[in-house]
Amino acid sequence: MKIKHLSLVLLTLVLVFGCSSKEKSEKPKIAVVVSTLNNPWFVMLAESAAENAKKLGYEAKIFDSQNNPAIESDNFENLISSGYDAILLNPTDSDGSISNILKAKTAGIPVFCMDREVNADDAATSQILSDNYSGCVSIGIEFVKELKEKGKYVEILGLVGDNNTWARSGGFHSVVDKFPNLKMVAQQSGDFDRNKAMEVLETILQANPDIDGVFCGNDAMAMGAFQALQAAGKETKVKIFGFDGAGDVIEKIREKKIIATGMQFPKVMAQTAAQYADEYFKGRKVFPQRVPVEVELVNAANIKDY
Amino acid sequence: MKKKYVYILAFVIIAILGYNSVYFKKLSDVKNAKKENFDFKAYADSIYYKGILKSKKTIALTNLISSVKTNQEAAFKKYGNRLGIGNSAYFMIQSTGKIIDIKDGIYTIADEKNGVVYIDTKYIFGNALRDASGLVKLTDFKTNAQFNKVSESLNDIVRNEVIPKEIKKVQIGDSVSFSGAIKLSKKQTLFTDLLIIPSQIKLQ
Repeated sequence: MKIKHLSLVLLTLVLVFGCSSKEKSEKPKIAVVVSTLNNPWFVMLAESAAENAKKLGYEAKIFDSQNNPAIESDNFENLISSGYDAILLNPTDSDGSISNILKAKTAGIPVFCMDREVNADDAATSQILSDNYSGCVSIGIEFVKELKEKGKYVEILGLVGDNNTWARSGGFHSVVDKFPNLKMVAQQSGDFDRNKAMEVLETILQANPDIDGVFCGNDAMAMGAFQALQAAGKETKVKIFGFDGAGDVIEKIREKKIIATGMQFPKVMAQTAAQYADEYFKGRKVFPQRVPVEVELVNAANIKDY
Repeated sequence: MKKKYVYILAFVIIAILGYNSVYFKKLSDVKNAKKENFDFKAYADSIYYKGILKSKKTIALTNLISSVKTNQEAAFKKYGNRLGIGNSAYFMIQSTGKIIDIKDGIYTIADEKNGVVYIDTKYIFGNALRDASGLVKLTDFKTNAQFNKVSESLNDIVRNEVIPKEIKKVQIGDSVSFSGAIKLSKKQTLFTDLLIIPSQIKLQ
């Protein structure tokens, strides 16, 4: 009888300590969910986030939402059921992504947004965002000066459901709209996509062959705009402005083929998001809801620094 | 028996009237509606006239430069304001000098102690004044878009009310006192080309 009791106690101890030692050996899992992996900028953001999470000792896996809120939703369902412990998210849609974040929140999983803001201040644990507005104020001032306060221009917007699109456009227009001799002849979405922006500008150029400037909501679209202008033989006449600080645009600024861009710091955002997740696991529960990351203007005057 | 039906009818009528005259809204919806109706102009007026003009954060430009040269980190922490992460911060400064050039809205000032500085009266844009003042917190507003509207209203006050009134009195050769916001970067080693977004320019 005593032996039976002893075996039972031993079995219980083995089960308890066995389980707890297994739990201890399991690393928390961090999911990196990005809007798209079709754009090198987001690839860098995703890979930096995953790399930083791994450096901090966590398992990390990247999920691609393919710019589709429905796929993002599926990703969330999947990673909630798979037992992920934190999510570093680059949202697809400023409104549409809120419900996904709330689902994770209900499941007790903190979500740290990177780069793109969602329109809620009680869903994500924290949002680490580029200061798009200030960056585009600087670009707007550069634009006005370069065009000498007059001329016709085109604005190619990013995704219309994304807050970054409107923060950038808002910053730019807060400056440019104060100069009445600058006329915007077209404003269309290029979905942050190089080919789409090229097609959009090609069509706009047919009706407006005499434009003086193009402001693009990201650098991929600035490259698309450059291609469209080059095909039309207007790349030296029309001044192009982008936003991101992508390598190919930095090269074009060096070659004086693109005027300026706003340098974002995706690696800083990714690192901060991973660091916040680490602090969360270690007990910190209160984070600033929005953390703006400075954007620096890059133009011919300071290109040597980049 | 008839009375009973009258009472029931009266009760139904009162219930219908009551149901249609009282409604409940989510507190979050009410708060959102309040933010949407927020009077940014009045708020910016208060920030400018009661805050910026009387700001205790304003430091003499000479003292700021000296502090930054002595201990950049401490000077940025004590006098600067940076929302979030970045290399630069905004500062509220004041100084005096003589106007030596006016071109395209930029007033070139031979500052008595700091060499040449520039006052920009044309490109009053962005968050320099709002952030240098340190009076508005990011958490005061639900979204960045609302937060940035504060800057736009503040800039409108300076651009439309302050600059035109004060600037038309001054010309080349005049001595002026001035205050405003500057942006300094931690990468910065020289203090030439300092551009000031003015909050005030006055003939001395």
